[in-house]
Amino acid sequence: MEKIDDKYDFSLYEYHNLLQQNILVSYKGPIDERIMTVIGENIELVTDDGSDKAKNKIFKIFMELAQNVWLYSAESCKTASGRKLGMGTLVIGEFGDSYTFVTGNVVRNSDIEPVIEKCEIINSLDRDSLREYRREQRRLGGDKKNSGNIGLIQVALTAESPLDIELTPVSDDESFFSIAVKIKKTVL
Amino acid sequence: MEDIHIEGVHEAFFTPTVNFEVATGHCEIAGESYLEETSKFYARLLDWLRRYMSTVKGSLTFDFKLSYFNTSSSKCLVDILDLLKNYQNSGAEVTVNWYYDDSEEELEEVEDFILETGLDINKIPME
Repeated sequence: MEKIDDKYDFSLYEYHNLLQQNILVSYKGPIDERIMTVIGENIELVTDDGSDKAKNKIFKIFMELAQNVWLYSAESCKTASGRKLGMGTLVIGEFGDSYTFVTGNVVRNSDIEPVIEKCEIINSLDRDSLREYRREQRRLGGDKKNSGNIGLIQVALTAESPLDIELTPVSDDESFFSIAVKIKKTVL
Repeated sequence: MEDIHIEGVHEAFFTPTVNFEVATGHCEIAGESYLEETSKFYARLLDWLRRYMSTVKGSLTFDFKLSYFNTSSSKCLVDILDLLKNYQNSGAEVTVNWYYDDSEEELEEVEDFILETGLDINKIPME
């Protein structure tokens, strides 16, 4: 069969195989509330282990992390009505007795430093200190950047596990930033 | 002053069910809270409460029956609790009930709201 476009050398089969390994749902593209609804419902469907516990946790985590991609991604597209939608990648995988939820997006290096610092603080705190940190952050004004921070604290508290962050440089000014969290399946 | 009745909606955004009654001083926020304009939505509720406190000056019974709220909503919930605490401090009769689902995490969150605002909140398991 003749190739449609010589420049198009992306193998969907390889992509499919790559995602075959324990991945339940994956999405790459722009994110807004409608896409969040669809993926959120999908995630609830595939993580339903008979009890609401793990499912509810993943849903809460998904809502906060996907919203961060939507609002803070350095890569974005504009809708016909002029709305700006952040682009990113969301993946949920199943590994033994836990689920792992990962989000990733391109960030400007100048913006990401404080976020990484916040994640490191979060990871260094025990549960009680983390709850205190959430109370303190909730008290701070309704600044847009700050609401992302409280979201990250919430994610760590809900997941009951640290935020596994990774920063991969993509150019002088930008990097790919990802956050992975592990959620234990409900023990029945 | 009029009652507030908002029917909960679960679409792309989630609007909680709201029932605020002037005659009885009974207020309820139930369902799910994830809104496009969180502050704007809650500002209306906060304004209603302020008016009730300054004009009706009656007792207040507040039921929170939320099965889901995002972190933006939680900031506004704390604003409501602060207002209720101030009203109580001024001598008014205020009862706050928080219905939580059967999870340790939610119970912790209610306990944190109590610590955060100094308000007594009755913790009641959701049926």
